[in-house]
Amino acid sequence: MSREDAVNALPTGVGLRLPHLAEVAAGTSGAAWLEAHPENFLANPHARELLLRARHDHPIALHTVGVSVGTATGLDRSHLARLRALVDELDPFLVSGHLAWSTHNGIYLNDLLPIPYDDDALRVVAANVHEVQEVLRRCYVVENPASYVAFSTSTRAETDFLAELASRTGCKLLCDVSNAYLSAANLGYDAYEYINGLPADAVAELHLGGFTRETDDAGAPVLIDTHAAAIDEPVWKLYAHAMRRFGPQPTLIEWDSALPAFAQLLSEAERADFVTHATFEGGAHARAG
Amino acid sequence: MRALVDLQGSFAHAMTSGDGAALGGHLRGGRDPGRRLAIHLRHYATSLAAALCDKFPASTWLIGDAAMREAAGAYTRFHPPRQPCIAEYGRDFPEFLARHPRAARLPYVRSFAELEWAVAQASIAVDAPPLSWTELTTCGAECLVESRLALQPGVHYVRAGWRVDELMQNYLSGVSPERFVLVNAATRIEVRGARGEFRLVRLDAATFAFRTTLAAGRTVGAAADAALGLDQRFDAGAALRALVDAELATASATGAQEPVR
Repeated sequence: MSREDAVNALPTGVGLRLPHLAEVAAGTSGAAWLEAHPENFLANPHARELLLRARHDHPIALHTVGVSVGTATGLDRSHLARLRALVDELDPFLVSGHLAWSTHNGIYLNDLLPIPYDDDALRVVAANVHEVQEVLRRCYVVENPASYVAFSTSTRAETDFLAELASRTGCKLLCDVSNAYLSAANLGYDAYEYINGLPADAVAELHLGGFTRETDDAGAPVLIDTHAAAIDEPVWKLYAHAMRRFGPQPTLIEWDSALPAFAQLLSEAERADFVTHATFEGGAHARAG
Repeated sequence: MRALVDLQGSFAHAMTSGDGAALGGHLRGGRDPGRRLAIHLRHYATSLAAALCDKFPASTWLIGDAAMREAAGAYTRFHPPRQPCIAEYGRDFPEFLARHPRAARLPYVRSFAELEWAVAQASIAVDAPPLSWTELTTCGAECLVESRLALQPGVHYVRAGWRVDELMQNYLSGVSPERFVLVNAATRIEVRGARGEFRLVRLDAATFAFRTTLAAGRTVGAAADAALGLDQRFDAGAALRALVDAELATASATGAQEPVR
């Protein structure tokens, strides 16, 4: 990847949340591109109308939080049909979701829950991803989760599970660099090795988001994926490493709660662009040297 | 596969009940994986309760923050979401709230919360093009009686035993009057809104019956009969004209057809 390629890559986008919607739909946001959670728009016709207006001035990606590809009790086909209608209407350049489950026998648990990394779960997730891709008629992009606990019965590493999933289904991967950092800290492994373990050719997007340092009920430190803060310094370093490993990919700044002014999100996006350029400029110098 | 279904069933039970004891042996992470699980259990309870409090700010104003948080927390345990869009969660919360010990002393709380839900739904609607009088009547009088109408998506009807619309106006004004008397009287409210705005209109019993019968998908003739059953002087033609002039009707159909424009 040359410095020129990096400069020409899509600048960093920002997550679009409802409080910023009117400002963005007015066409003055300055964001390079936007990522929206479809579940915020499917039951809100006015918001959907504004999102379609925002689409005139911004490329849009959709990031689902309710598809639940890890569920063992079957996907919600009526939700998939509604999602398909929104995809048809918006024509997003990318549709993604999480390696997680959130629904069981029709109950939605409003969280992204962990799955055991074993062959049974891989079969279930692969079948669900196939179905999502068939319904949406496009490649689905699956994100690595933010983890606080893992299953003692897992027989595969998460990176191996994701790589095998991509190989079986043709799906792409979304590397959430903050999730990689946070999960590694919470579960005691090396975040750089995690990034190195992902199949680089399958990675199609990167996410960056803020986390919160807390203490769990046993008194142990834990990082919580709150998306309620600026991106932590060590995550920026890991991001530079991810860029070197995956090449410049569409990168998104996520900020969901304690939402600041849109300008602050743009400022985080500018920093990501700076890291991208600095990473490849440095790489070019090193090669030249 | 069965093992994964069972594992997720245990996890789902832990989430809704707050008791993760059955999962402890399956997990790793932190000094005590069972306690790490509490992060997920807490997130379920607090995120959904917060969503309900955000959705019912007027009801929170009425019963108080602590009571609302408690009622919302109880609701999340007994009524987990059945849809992925949390905007759709809480439709039957007003009924639950009315039975909760922290709110049951207010006999009007259910109607007030139902009105608040209707206001929220109306506010996020987008108006459809209205049906004109000419379009509606072009099929003739006999056909018109058998017609069913689609109403604007931002129109909702609330029947209350108290003047909760006055209480809502009081909340919306942001001003607490020195003295406010909530009148115990049958109240029929039409909520109409779109694109972030709404208004409340109080209807007489016959007009309310006419419009709610139409909103339920029944014919103009059935709506007229419902209204005339309450008021023999009811003028169905004028009521229909008023409905159309207010741009409330968006489509008409007869027979098995759906009234879709």
